[in-house]
Amino acid sequence: MKRIAFVLALMATPAFAQVTADTSNPFEGKADAAEAGHALFGKMNCAGCHAYDLTGGMGPDLTDTSWQYGGKPGEIYHTIAEGTPRGMPAWKDKMTADEIWQVVTYIQSRHQ
Amino acid sequence: MRKSLLVAALLCGAAFLALSAGTPDAKPANKSTGSFTGATANLAPNDPPGQWIRQARDYANTRYSPLTQINKANVGRLRVAWSFSDGQMYGHEGAPLVVGDTMYLVTPFPNIAYALDLSKTGAPIKWVYQPNPDPRAIGEACCDKVLRGWAYADGKLIYNLLDDHTVAVDAATGKEVWRVLLDDVAKGPTLTQAAFVVGDKVYIGSSGGELGTNGWFQALDVKDGHTVWKAFTNGPDDGALIGPDFKPFYSWMKGKDLGVSSWPGEMWKQGASAPWGWVSYDPDLNEIYYGTSNPGPRTPSQRPGLNLWSSAVFARDANTGQAKWAYQFTPHDEWDYDGVNENVLIEIPWKGGRRKVMVHFNRNGFAYTIDRASGEVLVAEPFGLQNWASKIDLTNGMPVVNDAAHPVVEKKVENICPPDIGVKNWNPSAFSPRTGLLYAGVFNSCMDLTNHIVQYIPGAPYDGMEMVRKAGPGGNWGEFIAWDPVAGKRIWSIKENLYVWSGAVVTGSDLVFYGTMDGWFRAVDARSGKVLWSQKLGSGITAAPMTFTGPDKRQYVAVYTGVGGGAGVLRREKGYMPGGNTLYVFSVDGAGIGLGTSQLVSHAQAAAPVSVPPAAAHN
Repeated sequence: MKRIAFVLALMATPAFAQVTADTSNPFEGKADAAEAGHALFGKMNCAGCHAYDLTGGMGPDLTDTSWQYGGKPGEIYHTIAEGTPRGMPAWKDKMTADEIWQVVTYIQSRHQ
Repeated sequence: MRKSLLVAALLCGAAFLALSAGTPDAKPANKSTGSFTGATANLAPNDPPGQWIRQARDYANTRYSPLTQINKANVGRLRVAWSFSDGQMYGHEGAPLVVGDTMYLVTPFPNIAYALDLSKTGAPIKWVYQPNPDPRAIGEACCDKVLRGWAYADGKLIYNLLDDHTVAVDAATGKEVWRVLLDDVAKGPTLTQAAFVVGDKVYIGSSGGELGTNGWFQALDVKDGHTVWKAFTNGPDDGALIGPDFKPFYSWMKGKDLGVSSWPGEMWKQGASAPWGWVSYDPDLNEIYYGTSNPGPRTPSQRPGLNLWSSAVFARDANTGQAKWAYQFTPHDEWDYDGVNENVLIEIPWKGGRRKVMVHFNRNGFAYTIDRASGEVLVAEPFGLQNWASKIDLTNGMPVVNDAAHPVVEKKVENICPPDIGVKNWNPSAFSPRTGLLYAGVFNSCMDLTNHIVQYIPGAPYDGMEMVRKAGPGGNWGEFIAWDPVAGKRIWSIKENLYVWSGAVVTGSDLVFYGTMDGWFRAVDARSGKVLWSQKLGSGITAAPMTFTGPDKRQYVAVYTGVGGGAGVLRREKGYMPGGNTLYVFSVDGAGIGLGTSQLVSHAQAAAPVSVPPAAAHN
């Protein structure tokens, strides 16, 4: 019982709430979140695959309009958190939900 | 100050080019017969002239074919005899093998093998083998999902899968004979190397220079794939198979466990140094030779020290794997100058005698001629645009690094030449024992480099280099050159718009074939550098051409199109073509078994029983 309550409490917090394709980005348009995401993009080695300018290399270009796994904020979040069957690692155990949203914010900022 | 030094260095490079590019030197480029240099090669195992049984045709990696049917008089009549598309869109890098009347092809990921029957019209498929490698490997391969070649031995086609398996397939039936798992793809290593066979062993090297891997090289038994010996590149001597036989020529590579002590702490464990390139073999010395990749991470300030044995070449006993000598081309590599390019084994005249040497065009822009018995560097001269080092000091084998070329963390350093991909990459050169020259596709470019500190995360890139690459003087990104390995100088060169990232083949009629990233396949006079024939193909060429004799006794030349691999760094340049996957096979006038006007009846028509008029059939 205690455990269920704990799980429910967790789910109630935004950080662990289930993210769907239509979930909006809690940091949408926030410059400080984009900047934090920019730092994470380098620190977590995202740039190694997607390049420091996000135009891709080993991994896909994140600045164009083609999204293999969906380009909505919730879809980008899902791709980062869960990885892909084609070798993109899952980052949900290495970054917090807020950090993943910050990276999403940074990627979105490069589309404006 | 830094900038002025760089400009000066750049001008030196430009001056070097002006002297050599396209300009005949002391030895005339139009020498119509005889050797320019006196260099020769042991073409063991001396396969039948019309066959192409290993990627480089011989153990020495010459890519020399003795065939002469296609010659300077008729090469202008080369036309497509037939073609074959394999449907896979990643970069194509290997050369077809021809064994008997069968051609063997293997695609990039998902590494599907095809056997084509050359004895029949249009070379129909005999069998297909689909190994279904793990798609997670797609995200771990740094530079496209490629395969650089495949091997034939003991009635088997043997090759690597991107997901760290090596497989052997029955060459007659396409049935899998064995499959072995050599590493864990989830942690970063992949296999893209061309398996290389000598006798009962197949030699495999790991890939993953940008993934914080722990590079290794191993010999598998051709019969069942079990590991006979395995040598890690870095780490303690025991694991690297460095023992009492190890006698490097230069003193700075002598000592115990240098693969540990030349790194900070335990960073050698993620030091990459992956041997993903070509292997060659000297049957007289019974030694194999192969190079190692850049150290990891690519940001050098994180790993002070020589970082042995990254960016180096090893000579090892072919049976035991015990190291005989090593030579680190780029100590403490700061620019991603892997040492994995081909080592072409030749013999040269040297100071009144002859030396058994290897010729190696390094990414760092120097072409080395090295005594392969001792590891002594005899010649090390620039073969293209570079400004990171003023020279290689032949008294100790060390480069003299220009101060202005050192990268700085979080600061852009401009005009370092070459960029990470080098003056030449893995694309293999060819050597002609007739001309005594080597032929190679090379790059003319520089970079603005900003380094970043990175952390090691298993399965993610361990990199740190942010680059802007740009064409060098002249604006042309690439060239195709003829090289004198004794004097260490160019004989001729042909400028190309983009990097020349294809392999080369040279024939007994002094023809050299190479391809370009903008889709041109060319035949060139090996003596003068004059282009004799060009054909535009359906995609750019980053594979190695080859030539063979068909069952109809006719000489063919074949090359895969399908631009990709590391060449993708130029994907946004004008002229870079879309990907592709077509093998083109050429002959004089496009002639072949049952082709053109020799086939005026369809196969189905020819195979049908004698037709009966419909009216009669109803009775």
